[in-house]
Amino acid sequence: MTDAMKTVEVKVERTIPAPLEQVFDAWLDPKTPGTTWHIADEYVLDAKVGGLFFWSIKGTSHYGRFTAVQRPTKLQHTWMSPNTSGLESNVSVTFTKRGNETLMTLVHSGLPDTNQGKGHEKGWNSFLGNFCERFSARASVSAG
Amino acid sequence: MTELSVVLTAISHPTRRAMIDRLAKGPAGFLELAKPFDTALNSVTKHLKMLERAGLIARKKHGREVIISLRAEPLKNVAGWVHHYERFWNEQLDEFEHHFKSTKGKEKKR
Repeated sequence: MTDAMKTVEVKVERTIPAPLEQVFDAWLDPKTPGTTWHIADEYVLDAKVGGLFFWSIKGTSHYGRFTAVQRPTKLQHTWMSPNTSGLESNVSVTFTKRGNETLMTLVHSGLPDTNQGKGHEKGWNSFLGNFCERFSARASVSAG
Repeated sequence: MTELSVVLTAISHPTRRAMIDRLAKGPAGFLELAKPFDTALNSVTKHLKMLERAGLIARKKHGREVIISLRAEPLKNVAGWVHHYERFWNEQLDEFEHHFKSTKGKEKKR
């Protein structure tokens, strides 16, 4: 366990075709596909500084507390799950105006750089297989 | 590490990914596998060689026909190489973005 304290950071960016406020609010709205609340079997969400959240999927629980809630530009919260191996990781989402669109930058930092999360990956591993299938299915669901 | 590079190269081409998708549904003969692609048969052979080198497919002779099947193990190494949360957030944000693209204009009426 010598690499237990080594942490990594993951950064993901997307340009969302909607104005800042709308994107910010949608990210905290369980009705919006793509949010963690939306995929949760159960959730608790109190999006204010010091507020806590919980969400679970297939028996895996995620907990955190909000450390910054600055509508409509910044959202920051901690994140603990079996995948963080006891570390309190940090998720920061910034929303930047790009004309009529919004650039969303999500940085998940303080993640343990171990292989411990590997077994857990099975749950998400639809990635290479039915990726496209799932998308078209979801698209018709949200349209209907 | 070299093995990982070979696998990553193998899945870096859309045609080869489509072949993997097809084989994920079950084994197929060479012609059946080649059918959906708008490429020459010898280019299909080339793609298959790259998949084979990466250990992603196995060939089995069935009389005169060769049946090709998927071996998914090397893909697991790739999955382990990309961080869990990198995939997780990419999937979530893809869906989030897709939601805005697919409901654009519709939501305003509500």
